[in-house]
Amino acid sequence: MFETKEPLTEKEVQRWMADSLIAERMDAFVARFSRLQDMLGDKLIPTLLLYLGESVGPAIDNLDKAERFGWIESSHEWMIYRQLRNQMIHEYIEDPAVLADALDAGRSYVESLTMSAETLASEIERRLGE
Amino acid sequence: MRLTQAQQHGIKRLVEETFGPEAQVLVFGSRLQEYRRGGDLDLLIQIAVPTKRPALKSATLAASVSRLLDGRHVDVLLQAPDLRSLPIHRIAASQGVPL
Repeated sequence: MFETKEPLTEKEVQRWMADSLIAERMDAFVARFSRLQDMLGDKLIPTLLLYLGESVGPAIDNLDKAERFGWIESSHEWMIYRQLRNQMIHEYIEDPAVLADALDAGRSYVESLTMSAETLASEIERRLGE
Repeated sequence: MRLTQAQQHGIKRLVEETFGPEAQVLVFGSRLQEYRRGGDLDLLIQIAVPTKRPALKSATLAASVSRLLDGRHVDVLLQAPDLRSLPIHRIAASQGVPL
C-alpha cells in the first residue's frame, strides 16, 4: 500500500478511498495498527508489570514505567500514536487531507511499534526463563 | 469547567507551542456542564493559516494536554481554512467556550 517513502497527498488518499480494494487495505492497516497497539499497551504491558510486582494504574502511568524499563522508546510518543489511532478509526476523519497525514504518521511509527513488541517478547522470555 | 487556572494556562501554552500564538482554543462538548462527572475534554482549535501535519499536530496536542491532566482523555478537533468544514466543526464552534 505504501509504495514510496514520499508523504501521502490528499489526491492519493481520495483515489484510494474510491478504490475499494485499496480502501480495504487502508482499513486493514488501521485495524492491525490498533490491535497491536492495544494488545501491547492495554494488555501486555500491564500484565508484565503485575508479574514483576509493579503497581498498575492509568495507561499513562503504565506507559511511563514501560519507558523507564526500556520496553518502549517513549511514553509520550506512544500516547501521540494512541491519539492518532483514535483519529484514524473515528468515522469523522472525512477529510482526505487529514487522513493522509494520519496514515503517513502511522506508517512512520510501525517500526517503533514492532520493536516494542520484540522487546517485550524478549523480556517475557527472559523472565520466564529465570 | 473543571479546569484549574494553572491547567488552563498550561493548555493555552501547549496550544501556542503546537499551533502558534494566533490559534484559538475552545472547550466544547457535554463535559462543559459542571454537574457531569469529570473525565474527557474536547478542544476545538481554530487557526487562520493552513498547517502541515494537521493530524499529527492534533494528536500531539491531545497527548500533551492529556499528560498535563494526569491522563484524562482529550480529543482535539482542528479547524483550518484548508480543511473541510464538517457539522462537528459548526457544533463545536457554536457550543464552544473560549479558554
